[in-house]
Amino acid sequence: MAGNRPVKFRILELCGSGKWNYEIVEQIQKEYDDLKGDFHRDSINFDIIELASGGMLEDVEVKVDEEGIYKKGFLLHKYVLTDFGRIRAADACLMYV
Amino acid sequence: MDLQSLKRKEHQKRVKKGFMWALFCAVLWGLWYLPGTAVWVLNPFDQMYSEVAASSGDGVALVIVAVLITALNAATVILALGVWTGVLGKFGEMKRTAKEFHPCSKWFFLASIFGGPMAILGSFIAMGFVGGAFAAVAALMYPVVGAILASKWYGEKVTKRAFIGIIVIILGGITIFGGGVLSEIGSGNVLWVGYLGGLMAATGWGIEGAIAGKGLDIAEPDVGLTLRFIGEGLIWWIIAIPMLAIAGFPMIKYAILAFEPLTLMVLIFAGITFGFCYVSWYKSFPLIGVGRGQGIGNLYGLFAVIFIFLFFGDVPSWTILVGGALCLIGSTVMFSEDTGEMESLRGD
Repeated sequence: MAGNRPVKFRILELCGSGKWNYEIVEQIQKEYDDLKGDFHRDSINFDIIELASGGMLEDVEVKVDEEGIYKKGFLLHKYVLTDFGRIRAADACLMYV
Repeated sequence: MDLQSLKRKEHQKRVKKGFMWALFCAVLWGLWYLPGTAVWVLNPFDQMYSEVAASSGDGVALVIVAVLITALNAATVILALGVWTGVLGKFGEMKRTAKEFHPCSKWFFLASIFGGPMAILGSFIAMGFVGGAFAAVAALMYPVVGAILASKWYGEKVTKRAFIGIIVIILGGITIFGGGVLSEIGSGNVLWVGYLGGLMAATGWGIEGAIAGKGLDIAEPDVGLTLRFIGEGLIWWIIAIPMLAIAGFPMIKYAILAFEPLTLMVLIFAGITFGFCYVSWYKSFPLIGVGRGQGIGNLYGLFAVIFIFLFFGDVPSWTILVGGALCLIGSTVMFSEDTGEMESLRGD
């Protein structure tokens, strides 16, 4: 499926039941043809950070990336949708709500 | 390395970057008042001013010239942000976002109405008739408008601390506006339109902030900001300029005459500083929190006064300095309260 809605909408959809940032980034890069490569990988990750700082996602778990799944030696974050995120997602008419 | 020290490292890195972006925004925003003030004395705008003033009077001429300058400013901002989103490879995301009218583009367009014809036009009017330092410092009152709207629209509680901040900012505003008006009443020549412009800037940016946030929090800011300025560009070039041209004002003639190396350079300088101050403002929010981002961003008032002094040698009157200081203190009091995001960033 090629992504046809804004990236942040899709991120909110994916985080409904909690997901690791590398899982989200990987999924988005698979779905959107114009977002391949390392630069977009970091840019999608920044989108996740923005949603978290906006109070729509919550950082629920942290672990060190030992094996280099995403970036070796850095932190991996697990995010879950907040109540406010659910309301904003509903504004954007996302399906699962 | 263990989890705790990695967390600390990540947090420090984010905060450092966030402060850098916010400071970058303040410097660029302050710089914008240089081309904004200089452009008034450049051709073809001073020529246009005398032509319109001869037939319709000074007040009308001021607004008409300000409209053309604001429209050209919007065009160069679109150019700067277009290059930016292009380099970042975000045109695809821009198309996807623009199509989302209900959750996104509707808000961007509404924001552009208040940001453009109200705030930016008002700023140019204030720069043209009262001066750059006044325009910059008068707009520092925008958080008051934002806070009032947030409490009316979203039922956000105004805390005691925010209330104190608002009072201090309003006192600063009275000093800035009152001081200028009083000294001009003394000389018997009050430039009311210029002061109205200062009020328009503060109100417009306050409203824009409250509206734009609704669409921007679920969009990519780079993309959202570009769309917001495209909205403003449409308002000027599809609606305002053609209507004023039909009404008989020489809009098209002078818009074409603006294609002159020096004028064009000043306009492009305005576009770059203004466009990127918005971009870096939004980049700072997720890293240090909206409150701190806005608080540091507001240092633009200080930078504007310094830059205008350095480049034009204008020493602002003491009422602007005192009022500006009060506004900065007030906004620091208001914004420094907001530590929620900082906590969640720390992740402990």
